Amino acid sequence: MPALAVALAREPIPRVREAMMTALIRIGNAASIEVLLPYLRSQEASVRAAAIEALQALPEAIAPFMSPLLNDGDSDVRLLATELARNMEASEATRLLCELIEHEHHPNVCAAAIDVLTEVGTPEALPTLERCSARFAATPFLPFAVSIAMSRISGEES
Amino acid sequence: MADTATPAKAKVLVVDDSSLVRLYYRSALEIAGFEVKQAINGIEAMEKVLSESFDLVIVDVNMPRMDGFTFLRLLRSGAAADVSTLPALMISTESGEQDMAEARVAGANFYLVKPVAEAELVRHVCVLAGVAL
Repeated sequence: MPALAVALAREPIPRVREAMMTALIRIGNAASIEVLLPYLRSQEASVRAAAIEALQALPEAIAPFMSPLLNDGDSDVRLLATELARNMEASEATRLLCELIEHEHHPNVCAAAIDVLTEVGTPEALPTLERCSARFAATPFLPFAVSIAMSRISGEES
Repeated sequence: MADTATPAKAKVLVVDDSSLVRLYYRSALEIAGFEVKQAINGIEAMEKVLSESFDLVIVDVNMPRMDGFTFLRLLRSGAAADVSTLPALMISTESGEQDMAEARVAGANFYLVKPVAEAELVRHVCVLAGVAL
Protein backbone atom coordinates (compact mmCIF):
# COMPACT_ATOMS: atom_id res chain seq x y z
CA MET A 1 0.00 0.00 0.00
CA PRO A 2 2.70 2.60 0.83
CA ALA A 3 4.39 1.88 -2.52
CA LEU A 4 1.11 2.37 -4.37
CA ALA A 5 0.46 5.61 -2.47
CA VAL A 6 3.89 6.97 -3.40
CA ALA A 7 3.51 5.90 -7.03
CA LEU A 8 0.07 7.52 -7.24
CA ALA A 9 1.38 10.79 -5.83
CA ARG A 10 4.11 10.89 -8.48
CA GLU A 11 2.08 9.66 -11.44
CA PRO A 12 1.39 12.39 -14.05
CA ILE A 13 -0.58 10.32 -16.59
CA PRO A 14 -4.35 10.37 -15.88
CA ARG A 15 -5.04 6.87 -17.22
CA VAL A 16 -2.29 5.37 -15.08
CA ARG A 17 -3.55 7.30 -12.04
CA GLU A 18 -7.03 5.91 -12.69
CA ALA A 19 -5.62 2.38 -12.85
CA MET A 20 -3.87 2.93 -9.53
CA MET A 21 -7.08 4.23 -8.01
CA THR A 22 -8.88 1.15 -9.33
CA ALA A 23 -6.30 -0.99 -7.54
CA LEU A 24 -7.03 0.93 -4.34
CA ILE A 25 -10.76 0.31 -4.81
CA ARG A 26 -10.07 -3.42 -5.12
CA ILE A 27 -8.11 -3.35 -1.85
CA GLY A 28 -11.02 -1.35 -0.42
CA ASN A 29 -9.95 -0.90 3.20
CA ALA A 30 -9.44 2.12 5.45
CA ALA A 31 -5.85 2.46 4.28
CA SER A 32 -7.11 2.78 0.69
CA ILE A 33 -9.45 5.56 1.77
CA GLU A 34 -6.62 7.39 3.52
CA VAL A 35 -4.55 7.27 0.33
CA LEU A 36 -7.42 8.59 -1.79
CA LEU A 37 -8.76 11.35 0.47
CA PRO A 38 -6.00 13.93 -0.12
CA TYR A 39 -6.89 13.96 -3.82
CA LEU A 40 -10.20 15.65 -2.96
CA ARG A 41 -8.02 18.74 -2.36
CA SER A 42 -6.22 18.50 -5.69
CA GLN A 43 -5.97 21.64 -7.81
CA GLU A 44 -6.79 19.48 -10.87
CA ALA A 45 -10.48 18.94 -11.57
CA SER A 46 -9.80 15.63 -13.30
CA VAL A 47 -7.92 14.31 -10.25
CA ARG A 48 -10.72 15.41 -7.90
CA ALA A 49 -13.27 13.68 -10.15
CA ALA A 50 -11.25 10.46 -10.25
CA ALA A 51 -10.89 10.48 -6.46
CA ILE A 52 -14.63 11.01 -6.00
CA GLU A 53 -15.45 8.12 -8.31
CA ALA A 54 -13.01 5.86 -6.50
CA LEU A 55 -14.28 6.82 -3.04
CA GLN A 56 -17.92 6.45 -4.13
CA ALA A 57 -17.13 2.86 -4.99
CA LEU A 58 -16.32 2.18 -1.32
CA PRO A 59 -19.46 3.33 0.55
CA GLU A 60 -18.89 1.11 3.59
CA ALA A 61 -15.21 1.89 3.97
CA ILE A 62 -15.80 5.64 3.58
CA ALA A 63 -18.51 5.77 6.28
CA PRO A 64 -16.16 6.40 9.27
CA PHE A 65 -14.53 9.26 7.38
CA MET A 66 -17.73 11.06 6.42
CA SER A 67 -18.31 13.13 9.53
CA PRO A 68 -14.83 14.72 9.50
CA LEU A 69 -15.11 15.36 5.76
CA LEU A 70 -18.52 17.01 6.09
CA ASN A 71 -17.10 19.22 8.85
CA ASP A 72 -13.89 20.09 7.02
CA GLY A 73 -12.81 23.72 7.18
CA ASP A 74 -12.60 23.90 3.38
CA SER A 75 -16.03 24.36 1.77
CA ASP A 76 -14.78 22.73 -1.46
CA VAL A 77 -14.01 19.55 0.50
CA ARG A 78 -17.41 19.61 2.23
CA LEU A 79 -19.07 20.08 -1.16
CA LEU A 80 -17.23 17.14 -2.75
CA ALA A 81 -17.86 15.01 0.34
CA THR A 82 -21.61 15.26 -0.19
CA GLU A 83 -21.09 13.21 -3.38
CA LEU A 84 -19.63 10.38 -1.30
CA ALA A 85 -22.99 9.90 0.41
CA ARG A 86 -24.65 9.10 -2.91
CA ASN A 87 -23.85 5.38 -2.76
CA MET A 88 -24.35 4.99 0.98
CA GLU A 89 -27.38 3.39 2.59
CA ALA A 90 -30.27 5.85 2.20
CA SER A 91 -31.08 6.45 5.87
CA GLU A 92 -27.42 7.00 6.77
CA ALA A 93 -26.88 9.30 3.78
CA THR A 94 -29.98 11.27 4.77
CA ARG A 95 -28.80 11.60 8.38
CA LEU A 96 -25.33 12.78 7.40
CA LEU A 97 -26.51 15.27 4.80
CA CYS A 98 -29.26 16.69 7.01
CA GLU A 99 -26.75 17.24 9.83
CA LEU A 100 -24.57 19.09 7.34
CA ILE A 101 -27.39 21.23 5.93
CA GLU A 102 -28.63 22.27 9.38
CA HIS A 103 -25.41 24.09 10.21
CA GLU A 104 -23.89 24.76 6.76
CA HIS A 105 -23.54 28.44 5.83
CA HIS A 106 -22.25 28.01 2.26
CA PRO A 107 -25.09 27.89 -0.29
CA ASN A 108 -23.12 25.77 -2.76
CA VAL A 109 -22.45 23.08 -0.15
CA CYS A 110 -26.14 23.00 0.76
CA ALA A 111 -27.01 22.82 -2.95
CA ALA A 112 -24.69 19.84 -3.41
CA ALA A 113 -26.21 18.07 -0.41
CA ILE A 114 -29.74 18.76 -1.70
CA ASP A 115 -28.74 17.33 -5.08
CA VAL A 116 -27.72 14.05 -3.43
CA LEU A 117 -30.80 14.01 -1.19
CA THR A 118 -32.97 14.41 -4.28
CA GLU A 119 -31.68 11.03 -5.43
CA VAL A 120 -31.23 9.08 -2.20
CA GLY A 121 -33.01 11.06 0.54
CA THR A 122 -35.74 9.64 2.77
CA PRO A 123 -38.78 11.55 4.10
CA GLU A 124 -36.84 12.30 7.31
CA ALA A 125 -35.03 14.97 5.27
CA LEU A 126 -38.16 17.02 4.59
CA PRO A 127 -38.11 19.26 7.72
CA THR A 128 -34.41 20.02 7.20
CA LEU A 129 -35.05 20.89 3.58
CA GLU A 130 -37.88 23.23 4.51
CA ARG A 131 -35.67 25.05 7.00
CA CYS A 132 -32.89 25.28 4.41
CA SER A 133 -35.24 26.82 1.88
CA ALA A 134 -36.30 29.47 4.38
CA ARG A 135 -32.72 30.19 5.49
CA PHE A 136 -31.51 30.70 1.91
CA ALA A 137 -34.62 32.42 0.58
CA ALA A 138 -32.48 35.17 -0.93
CA THR A 139 -30.54 32.66 -3.04
CA PRO A 140 -33.15 31.65 -5.65
CA PHE A 141 -31.51 28.39 -6.67
CA LEU A 142 -31.83 26.86 -3.20
CA PRO A 143 -35.61 27.24 -2.74
CA PHE A 144 -35.95 25.93 -6.32
CA ALA A 145 -33.72 22.93 -5.56
CA VAL A 146 -35.50 22.24 -2.27
CA SER A 147 -38.91 22.27 -3.95
CA ILE A 148 -37.78 19.69 -6.51
CA ALA A 149 -36.06 17.58 -3.83
CA MET A 150 -39.12 17.60 -1.57
CA SER A 151 -41.41 16.64 -4.45
CA ARG A 152 -39.21 13.72 -5.43
CA ILE A 153 -38.64 12.50 -1.88
CA SER A 154 -42.37 12.71 -1.17
CA GLY A 155 -43.07 10.76 -4.33
CA GLU A 156 -45.08 13.60 -5.83
CA GLU A 157 -42.79 13.64 -8.85
CA SER A 158 -41.08 10.70 -10.56
CA MET B 1 -23.26 26.81 -35.28
CA ALA B 2 -26.79 28.08 -35.92
CA ASP B 3 -26.87 31.47 -37.69
CA THR B 4 -29.62 32.89 -35.49
CA ALA B 5 -29.83 36.10 -33.51
CA THR B 6 -32.93 35.84 -31.36
CA PRO B 7 -33.48 33.91 -28.14
CA ALA B 8 -36.48 32.23 -29.73
CA LYS B 9 -34.15 30.37 -32.07
CA ALA B 10 -30.83 30.29 -30.22
CA LYS B 11 -29.91 26.88 -28.88
CA VAL B 12 -27.97 26.33 -25.66
CA LEU B 13 -26.34 23.15 -24.36
CA VAL B 14 -26.28 22.92 -20.55
CA VAL B 15 -23.58 20.58 -19.22
CA ASP B 16 -23.78 19.80 -15.51
CA ASP B 17 -23.91 16.57 -13.53
CA SER B 18 -26.59 18.00 -11.22
CA SER B 19 -30.11 17.39 -12.48
CA LEU B 20 -31.30 20.26 -10.27
CA VAL B 21 -28.86 22.71 -11.84
CA ARG B 22 -29.77 21.58 -15.35
CA LEU B 23 -33.46 21.98 -14.55
CA TYR B 24 -32.89 25.45 -13.05
CA TYR B 25 -30.92 26.71 -16.05
CA ARG B 26 -33.32 25.13 -18.52
CA SER B 27 -36.31 26.72 -16.84
CA ALA B 28 -34.74 30.20 -16.82
CA LEU B 29 -33.50 29.96 -20.40
CA GLU B 30 -36.70 28.51 -21.85
CA ILE B 31 -38.72 31.29 -20.25
CA ALA B 32 -36.32 33.73 -21.96
CA GLY B 33 -36.99 32.02 -25.30
CA PHE B 34 -33.95 29.78 -25.72
CA GLU B 35 -34.04 26.17 -26.84
CA VAL B 36 -32.13 24.09 -24.29
CA LYS B 37 -30.49 20.67 -24.51
CA GLN B 38 -28.64 18.94 -21.69
CA ALA B 39 -25.61 16.75 -21.04
CA ILE B 40 -24.40 15.27 -17.75
CA ASN B 41 -20.63 15.36 -18.36
CA GLY B 42 -17.99 16.35 -20.88
CA ILE B 43 -18.18 13.13 -22.85
CA GLU B 44 -21.93 13.42 -23.41
CA ALA B 45 -21.50 17.12 -24.20
CA MET B 46 -18.88 16.39 -26.86
CA GLU B 47 -21.18 13.81 -28.45
CA LYS B 48 -23.98 16.40 -28.52
CA VAL B 49 -21.96 19.28 -30.01
CA LEU B 50 -20.66 16.96 -32.72
CA SER B 51 -24.14 15.83 -33.69
CA GLU B 52 -26.21 19.01 -33.24
CA SER B 53 -25.71 22.72 -33.84
CA PHE B 54 -25.56 25.02 -30.78
CA ASP B 55 -25.10 28.75 -30.26
CA LEU B 56 -23.61 28.44 -26.77
CA VAL B 57 -22.53 25.85 -24.26
CA ILE B 58 -22.83 26.32 -20.48
CA VAL B 59 -20.43 24.02 -18.70
CA ASP B 60 -19.67 23.08 -15.08
CA VAL B 61 -16.13 22.24 -13.87
CA ASN B 62 -16.49 19.24 -11.55
CA MET B 63 -18.20 16.40 -13.37
CA PRO B 64 -17.64 12.63 -13.49
CA ARG B 65 -15.96 10.91 -16.44
CA MET B 66 -14.91 14.19 -18.12
CA ASP B 67 -14.59 17.51 -16.27
CA GLY B 68 -15.40 20.89 -17.77
CA PHE B 69 -11.80 21.96 -18.32
CA THR B 70 -11.01 18.80 -20.26
CA PHE B 71 -14.18 19.25 -22.33
CA LEU B 72 -13.24 22.84 -23.21
CA ARG B 73 -9.67 21.91 -24.11
CA LEU B 74 -11.01 19.18 -26.39
CA LEU B 75 -13.57 21.56 -27.90
CA ARG B 76 -10.91 24.20 -28.61
CA SER B 77 -8.31 21.70 -29.84
CA GLY B 78 -9.51 22.00 -33.41
CA ALA B 79 -10.05 18.26 -33.66
CA ALA B 80 -13.56 19.13 -34.80
CA ALA B 81 -13.22 22.48 -36.57
CA ASP B 82 -16.97 23.12 -36.81
CA VAL B 83 -17.32 23.44 -33.04
CA SER B 84 -13.94 24.83 -32.00
CA THR B 85 -15.24 28.41 -31.75
CA LEU B 86 -18.54 27.61 -30.02
CA PRO B 87 -18.98 30.22 -27.24
CA ALA B 88 -18.64 28.70 -23.77
CA LEU B 89 -19.87 30.00 -20.43
CA MET B 90 -18.31 28.16 -17.50
CA ILE B 91 -20.31 28.16 -14.27
CA SER B 92 -18.77 26.48 -11.26
CA THR B 93 -18.66 26.40 -7.48
CA GLU B 94 -14.89 26.88 -7.81
CA SER B 95 -14.16 30.51 -6.97
CA GLY B 96 -10.35 30.45 -6.81
CA GLU B 97 -8.17 32.54 -9.11
CA GLN B 98 -6.46 29.38 -10.33
CA ASP B 99 -9.73 27.86 -11.53
CA MET B 100 -10.73 31.05 -13.30
CA ALA B 101 -7.31 31.26 -14.96
CA GLU B 102 -7.54 27.60 -15.99
CA ALA B 103 -10.99 28.27 -17.44
CA ARG B 104 -9.57 31.07 -19.60
CA VAL B 105 -6.68 28.91 -20.77
CA ALA B 106 -9.02 25.99 -21.51
CA GLY B 107 -11.15 28.27 -23.68
CA ALA B 108 -14.06 29.58 -21.61
CA ASN B 109 -15.40 32.90 -22.93
CA PHE B 110 -16.70 33.83 -19.48
CA TYR B 111 -16.72 32.37 -15.97
CA LEU B 112 -19.42 32.68 -13.32
CA VAL B 113 -19.38 31.36 -9.76
CA LYS B 114 -22.45 29.49 -8.49
CA PRO B 115 -25.06 30.17 -7.32
CA VAL B 116 -26.20 32.21 -10.31
CA ALA B 117 -29.57 34.01 -10.36
CA GLU B 118 -31.85 33.53 -13.37
CA ALA B 119 -31.56 37.13 -14.60
CA GLU B 120 -27.76 37.05 -14.40
CA LEU B 121 -27.70 33.73 -16.27
CA VAL B 122 -29.97 34.97 -19.04
CA ARG B 123 -28.02 38.23 -19.38
CA HIS B 124 -24.68 36.45 -19.83
CA VAL B 125 -26.16 33.88 -22.20
CA CYS B 126 -27.63 36.63 -24.38
CA VAL B 127 -24.31 38.47 -24.54
CA LEU B 128 -22.27 35.36 -25.35
CA ALA B 129 -24.80 33.95 -27.84
CA GLY B 130 -25.04 37.34 -29.51
CA VAL B 131 -28.77 37.80 -29.07
CA ALA B 132 -30.80 40.77 -27.86
CA LEU B 133 -31.81 40.85 -24.22
